[in-house]
Parts: sequence; C-alpha cells; structure tokens
Amino acid sequence: MLPFLTAVKSSVGKKFLMAITGLFWVFFLIVHLAGNLALLSGNGDFYNKYSHFLMSLGELLYVMEFLLLAFILTHIFSGVSVALGKMRARPQNYDVQKDLGGKSRKTVSASTMIYSGLLLLIFLVVHISHFKYQVGVDREYFTIINGTRMHDLYQLVYDAFGNLWYMLGYEVIMILVFSHLRHGFWSAFQSLGINHPRWSPVINTLGVVLASVIGFGFLILPLYIHFIGGR
Amino acid sequence: MMNKTSERPNMHLHLKIWRQLNAAAPGKFVSYEKENVSPDMSFLEMLDELNEHLIKTGGDPVAFDSDCREGICGMCGLVINGQAHGPRRATTTCQLHMRSFNDGDTITIEPWRAKAFPVVRDLVVDRSAFDRIIQAGGYVSVNAGNAQDANALPISKYNSDLAMDAASCIGCGACVAACPNASASLFTSAKVSQLALLPQGLVERKERAINMVSQMDLEGFGDCSNYGECEAACPKEISISNIARMKREYVRAALTSA
Amino acid sequence: MTLDAKIPVGPIQEKWDKHRFNMKLVNPANKRKYTIIVVGTGLAGASAAASLGELGYNVQNFCIQDSPRRAHSIAAQGGINAAKNYPNDGDSVWRLFYDTVKGGDYRSREANVYRLAQVSNNIIDQCVAQGVPFAREYGGLLSNRSFGGAQVSRTFYARGQTGQQLLLGAYSSLSRQIKEKKVAMFTRHEMLDLVVIDGKARGIVTRNLITGKIESFAADAVLLATGGYGNVYYLSTNAVNSNATAVWRAHKRGAYFANPCFVQIHPTCIPVTGDHQSKLTLMSESLRNDGRVWVPKAKGDKRPANEIPEEERDYYLERRYPAFGNLVPRDIASRAAKQVCDEGRGVGKTGLAVYLDFADAIKRLGRKAIEEKYGNLFEMYERITDENPYNVPMRIFPAIHYTMGGLWVDYNLQSTVPGLFVLGEANFSDHGANRLGASALMQGLADGYFVAPYTVGNYIGSNKFEPVTTDHPAFKASEKEVDDLVKKLLAVNGTKTAHELNRELGLIMWEYVGMGRSEEGLKKALEEIPKLREEFWKSIKVAGTGETLNQNLEEAGRLADYLELAELIARDALNRRESCGGHFREESQTPEGEAKRDDENYSYVAAWEFKGTEEAPELHKESLTFEHVPLTQRSYK
Repeated sequence: MLPFLTAVKSSVGKKFLMAITGLFWVFFLIVHLAGNLALLSGNGDFYNKYSHFLMSLGELLYVMEFLLLAFILTHIFSGVSVALGKMRARPQNYDVQKDLGGKSRKTVSASTMIYSGLLLLIFLVVHISHFKYQVGVDREYFTIINGTRMHDLYQLVYDAFGNLWYMLGYEVIMILVFSHLRHGFWSAFQSLGINHPRWSPVINTLGVVLASVIGFGFLILPLYIHFIGGR
Repeated sequence: MMNKTSERPNMHLHLKIWRQLNAAAPGKFVSYEKENVSPDMSFLEMLDELNEHLIKTGGDPVAFDSDCREGICGMCGLVINGQAHGPRRATTTCQLHMRSFNDGDTITIEPWRAKAFPVVRDLVVDRSAFDRIIQAGGYVSVNAGNAQDANALPISKYNSDLAMDAASCIGCGACVAACPNASASLFTSAKVSQLALLPQGLVERKERAINMVSQMDLEGFGDCSNYGECEAACPKEISISNIARMKREYVRAALTSA
Repeated sequence: MTLDAKIPVGPIQEKWDKHRFNMKLVNPANKRKYTIIVVGTGLAGASAAASLGELGYNVQNFCIQDSPRRAHSIAAQGGINAAKNYPNDGDSVWRLFYDTVKGGDYRSREANVYRLAQVSNNIIDQCVAQGVPFAREYGGLLSNRSFGGAQVSRTFYARGQTGQQLLLGAYSSLSRQIKEKKVAMFTRHEMLDLVVIDGKARGIVTRNLITGKIESFAADAVLLATGGYGNVYYLSTNAVNSNATAVWRAHKRGAYFANPCFVQIHPTCIPVTGDHQSKLTLMSESLRNDGRVWVPKAKGDKRPANEIPEEERDYYLERRYPAFGNLVPRDIASRAAKQVCDEGRGVGKTGLAVYLDFADAIKRLGRKAIEEKYGNLFEMYERITDENPYNVPMRIFPAIHYTMGGLWVDYNLQSTVPGLFVLGEANFSDHGANRLGASALMQGLADGYFVAPYTVGNYIGSNKFEPVTTDHPAFKASEKEVDDLVKKLLAVNGTKTAHELNRELGLIMWEYVGMGRSEEGLKKALEEIPKLREEFWKSIKVAGTGETLNQNLEEAGRLADYLELAELIARDALNRRESCGGHFREESQTPEGEAKRDDENYSYVAAWEFKGTEEAPELHKESLTFEHVPLTQRSYK
C-alpha cells in the first residue's frame, strides 16, 4: 500500500492537491464575484443584507472559512514546494534561455505563477483584515436595516475605493488574478489527469473565459465605484 | 532550385561552448571562431570539424555525445542558443543542419542542465536516472518463451496508435533540459502511458505508476508545472496528454492499491 | 583444426527440437553459481542478457553508450519478418527458410536458417507480450506488409521505427533483470580484449570510458553481440560509435572470422554532401515501391531534374529488369546505380547520386496518399537535404549498411574459442552473402531470446569450470597489453587525426572492396591498406590523456582495428573468385553483366584464422551443402 503522506508528497500528489484546492478557490471567487455584483446595484441595503446573511450562517460559515484557509495553505505549500524544487532540480541555470514556442504553454502567466501567487497571498491578508476585520479602519461602519444593526460594508467599500491609489493598487492585483487563473485553470485539469482530445480545447477556452470574467469582473467594480457609483 | 542551400556561401560563426573537465570540476564558457561552415553540414559535423582543428593544433576537443546521427538513438542533445536540440522543431541535434543559422551568428552551446543529469565532461551528461526510472517498472514482466500467440489479444487500432505515439520516445532528455523545473514527467509518462494503453500492461499498472513516479522523484527531477515546454522541445513531439494519463494512473493506483 | 558446425542429425524440421532435448540442462539452483558476460545491448545482446538473467544466471552486460537503449538496432526502420501467415497468403516456416537461403545466394547454413524461420513466430509473440506496439488493423489484429520484394506479406512493423520498438522491448526486459539484480549493467565500458584461459573464454578486459580505468571481468562464458563492422568503410549507415573492436580482439584470441567480404550495400541512402559528412542516412527500402529510379540519358547533363524531358531520362532499372523493375534486390539496385554513375550520368553536385522520382506516383495516387505512406520519410529527407521530394526527385546513392560476415559460429552460436558465443550481426550469421530486408531484427532476437539461452546452458552444463578470478596472470597480461596499446596510441603524437585516416581507409575500401571488386583492385587494396596502417602508427595524433573521457582516443583505437580487419576483408574478397550476393567480382559475371556464382569451387564458408598482424591468415573451409533448397542462379529479368 502506498502511505497517504507519500502519495501526497509525490510530484503527482502535490500537484493534484494544488489543482483541487485551486479549483475550489476558483469556485469561491465565482460566488464572491456574483455576490459583489450587488455593489453595482447602487442600493447599499441590498449589499449589506447579503453580507449580513453570510455573517449569520454560523457554523456553516466557520466550516467554509476553515476549508478556504486549509485549502489555501495547501495550495501555498504545494506552490512553494514546486518553486523550491525547481531550484534544487536545476542548481545551475542556462546562460542563454529561449522559450520554444510551438506547442509550449509557457505563457507569461505560466512562468509567473509563484510570483502572482505570493502577491495574491499578501493581498489576501490585507483584503481580509481590511474588509472583514477592519484593521486600521478609524471609524465604525454600522447601519440599521429593518431594525437590525449590521455592518455597513457597502459604505466601507465605497470609501476605500474612493481613494484613487487604493483603487489603482486593487486593479493591479486583479490583473494578477487574471494571470494566475489564465494558467491555473486548465493546468488544474491537466494535473488532475483530465486531458482529452475533445474536451481539452473546451477546458482551455473555458479557462481563458473564466480568468477574464473573474479578473475583469473584480476589476470593473472598483472602477465603477470610483468613477460612477459615488453615492 | 537543385539545392537551395548549396548556393549559400560558407559561414563564419562565433561559438561559445561550455567546457567542464568532469562532474566535480567547475565549468566555464570558452569562445571559438569557426570558419568555413557549409550550410549543408549537420550541427554535429560542424563540431566534428571544430574538434579536428582542435586536435591538430594541440587543443582539447569538445566532448559531446552522439551515435546514430539519424535522430533515433537519443544519444545526442545540446542546448543551442537556449533551446534544447536547437531552433528547429521536432528535430534532434544531429538532424539540425547549419542552414538554420546565418553568417556571423554567435551560437551558445550548453549541456542539458539538471541536477539529475550531472555533467560527465563538457557537453556530455549522465542520463542513467532515466534507466533507473525504467528499471522501476517500465516493463511487462514476461519471461522469454512464455508468451501466447501474438494475435490472441486484439487491441483497438486507436489505442495501439496512441501507445505507439508514446513509445516513440527516444529517451534523449530534451524534455528535462527544456522544462523550467527540470521535470522528467514527459519521459516517465511516455512509458507509463504506452503500457497503460495496452492490455499487456494492465496487470502491473498500479505498481508501475507508483514505482516509476517514486523513482522519478527520488532522482531529483523537478515537478511538473504544465509549462508544456517539454512537448515543444520533444524531437518526437510526444504529447503532454501522456502526463495527464500518468497522473490518472498514479492517482488511481494511490487510491485503490491494497 | 577442422571446422565442425555441430549440426544435429535428423530431418531438418526436427533438428532444433531434438537438439534442445539432447542439450545438457543446468539445475536451477546451480545457475546462479555461473557468471555470463554479454557484450552489447542491441537486439541480440539485450535479449540474451535478459533471457539468461530470467533463467537465473548471473549476467554482466556491457555497452559503450550511456544507456543500453542506444544500441544501433534502434535505427532499423522497416520491420521484422516472421512466418505467422496471418494474411493467409501462403507463407510458412518452410517458405521463409527457402526465401532466406535463396536470398542469401546459397552461402548460408541450411540448418541454421531453418531454425531461424522456426523461432521467428515466437519472436512476434514475445514482443507483443512485452507491449511492443506493432501496427494493427481496425479489427485489432496485427498488420503485415510485404517488404524487400518478398512475394508474401510477412513483415511486422511499428511505423518506420520497428527496430526502436523491438529494442525498447528487449531493453525493458533487460531493465527488469537489472532491477532484480540478475543482470549487472556496465554502461560506457568498451571491451578491449577477450581473456582465454585453458582454451576457454573466461572473461574480458574493458576500458571505463569515463575514468579511463582498465578493468577485468571474469566469467564462465562470454557472449559477443557487438554488431557489424560497416564503419571500416568510414561512411556507412552505422552509428558513429558502431565498431569492430570486440570481434576483432576476439579474433586475435582465436575466434575465426568468416566471410568478411560479405558486406551489404543498401541502394537507397541520402548521398554525401561533402568532406564534412560523418555518416550516411538510409531511406527505407519501401520507397522503391512507388518511386522510379532514373538518371539522364546523356553524360554530364547538369540540368535540374524537372527540366529534363521524359524522353531524355533513363529509367535504367525498369529497362534492364522489366520483371522486377525498381524492386530488384538491394545488391542489384546498388550495383546498377554505381554503373550509371561510373558512366558519368550521376546527378547532383558530386555526380554520385541517382534520382528516385515520385512524380508519377503522386500523379497516380494523389499527394495525400503518398504523404500517408511516406510522410515521415519525406520529412526526414527534407530535414537533411533541404529539398522537398514532393516537388523535386529525391537523390539517392548506395551505402554500406550491414555486414553478413562476422565471427564464425557453429550451430550453437559458439565460436572456435570454447565458451565464446557470438550473436546477431557480429556472427557470420544466417544471411549468407546477402541479407533480405526485415531479417536482421529477426536474427538478432532469435539468437538472443531463443537460441543462446539453450546453447549457453548446454555449454555450462557439459563443462567443468576451474574457478578463475581477475587476479589470474592471463587477465593481468591482457590488462597490460590493453594499457600498452592505449599508451602507444597517445605516444605517437603525429599530424593526422583518426577521422582523416579513417576517411582514407574508407576511400580505399569503397573504391576497391566496394560494389564491384576485381583481382587487380583487390591486390591494390592489399598493398594500400598495410601502407596506411604503417602510416597510422607513424602519424596518428590523439588528443588528451587516457585517464578521462576521451572520444578521440576511442576513435583511434577502433581505427587501429579497422586497419587490420580491412585487410582481411580484401583478402577474403580476393580469395572468393565468384560473384554472390553482396560480393561482386568483375571476373565472374554473365555476358549481360549479372552476378555469376561458382558453386563448384566456392560453396563454402571461408573462416580465417589469425596468425599475426603482419602474417597471412590461414583459411579454413566449412563446406555448405544444400539438400532442401535447390541451387539456382538468381534472375530478376
């Protein structure tokens, strides 16, 4: 029998986990984006009610948060291990290096996965501390809807993106999201062993579409808020 | 247009070649001027001529591996201007001809670089890691003499052709050389795939997938990040769909082996 | 010493079965007490090493490359014959046997060839069981094609890479035995001497090609499967490292060399482009199924092929051999090409080429059909020549391809040195004076999987072996000789490289011991070769030292042996005053210029005994009798 840990630590297992966890996060991002589209409604209460609903899910929310945390840690572990393995496997680099083109899938997006990944990690910490834990936020954002006191997340977001530099920084990060998913999505399927002459082109196209929808979906929101959506 | 290239004048090239006495010694690039290079020469014949010159002038000829010089034995392999087997796709170094270069070009020639492929001398590397991967399970355990009739087991032409696609691997190591991670996934998966596609290989499929992947990892190759540079560099154009098949085989084996 | 081929008595169909029963067996528990050395990892070597390992012997396997998978068997394109008769077209063991004896122009041993045909079927079974992906039909069964002008479709193939697939099959079996520690693999080791103790082969001396260390290995039997000696001619379709050193050193230790002049010249190779040429590339014989061979009618016509009108072209094969046309056997097609080039009608820059034209086939079948059949070959041609064979005819020229001659072996594949077995192309083999297409792979695997494992066992089982270690004086003496030779090569420090001298030797051989051989020419060669050998030892320049990887030194050492073997080839050719198969003596031809055999005087195997480098070798004759295949003169008119 193959011990579980051995299988997981193998080159195949590592990437298998990276793929599963990555795809889970893609799924999360889709839901997250769908929810955030409420920001476009111009109706603050609608958005705040949605966020309040999520916050009041109780255990379910904790399970979800735990999964997201566990998965991203696994994802990071695999990614860093692949990146370190790369240096170990080729201690001496080539003097001249030239991509091969042709059937290669070594896009800019593919070559920068570790960097886009690590930057996204930093962003994630900032993002969560800002909007979830409101670290460094100097006033309380509350609102009363139908007699219930809830976080005025809507206002928090609008205030944050009202700052031009904050908004621009955010946009750069969203381009990284696009880039990470551009290679990450189809690559996850490949790592799971899903490669088929009929379906692989579909998966590849879907990957580009999803990366664009997610990346540019998140990218449009701050732009909208900054330039159009002011209250 | 009898012979397009013979019309081209001979070239003068600047070569920058990696020289290293043995695995332990430090290496360095040495520059050579090579004149009178006919566009009809193969790349290795150009190096042959350089070596002839070096021998005659009391120098030390450049060591490089080659054998069949017709693109099938898998012995040759140089990184030429940053590309494994040079600029021409689906072509081994020995089949690359100088007509792919221009007068005055500077050509940088390096060995395959990977921890699992230590340099033996100059451009010669030790690829015995590949042999050990095959030894870990790249076979069907059948002794000479106890085979059934060859036609007793029909095999779909489709699968048989796919198996042949994978089996055409020449074991040159260009996949490792070209992979930014120095992964041997394409090589290993070609053999796993070939045998997974044929009924003869199914009896030992689980042990094979697990043992070959474990050996690959043990040898110190990098992981597969699905760059696909391997497929682009492969002189036999072996597809990365084989890597996906190897992953299926491995996961299947890991989940179901007793 | 009289040559005893040890052919078992009885009807030819029963010889092998009876012999297998009569041979001594070695108790399974005892097998592991014996060590067997196998030199070479091609089809014959890898299959023998794997099979002997499976049986339980301790096997030590040697190759000069970095991996056993590189052996030159890998380059065989076309296919492997077997008498399966799957297509139901009238094939049988008897027919394969008959065709092989006839195709070899009656210079092979009937009993050996019959056995080869018998085991041919087991080979296909074995390879399929290993997972060799032979071509299949849509119904899932194996596909066959006709090859080299055979009347039946008996050739199994794996695209144009049959040799590769069969070799990788044998290599996989070998890898399994290495894993199980039944075979110890020594890569980058070159055998430089055979050690004979008390009249028996008891080991080898090698040079570790990476460290330069001279090492000895002791064993109870030694198997050589080191391939042919085509590189004596410098340019050939052999790999650049293919060499004759192992067989030649064994020859010097007492193994007779048989029929060295039987060399096959393949008609369809890509022509030489210049002095830089390091090797020649074969284009599969199958191209002649659709390509038409021609040269201009006029001498020195240098117009591009497409500008030469139809009526000014000479389709000389179709003209001279209307029955077989472009599909005449290899030796005939090669000779005809040489003749038209000698007449000054050759094409291309050098005038040493003929056209192989697909224009008619493309017109008849369409470009797509031709692409499907030959696409990969056309691509290969284009890669090398930069010419597109869909638009302009291919240029081809004959090249040295295979050597039928080799160390003499008896029915058991044992040489004249007891305990020294020789397999595959390295032995003088079952192909007589000419090998048929797709038969080399068959012979290599037959020897390795199905013959040697029995006959080596018989030798072990019927002999007593005194324990021998590498400390034995014979090993020490051998090591010293080898070491001295290396030092001698390095010490000359002359002005000429091994490449240059090998090229000079090649020119002599191609000119006088090539496709057409005359008494005058051969005598000239016998003058020139010793002179060149003398020059070699005066003017060779070897770079570097003996203590590192030194490819230049390897090359020089091999050339030193070629310079001796070349003389034997010429001597054998001079002795055989008849034309047969690949050996064409100008003095022995029909009025129409076709080969004429002389069965009365030359129906024998010429086995040469080494007497010293500067001494004349002694000729021993094994006479050949043909009881089952009636002697006829080949005709393809």
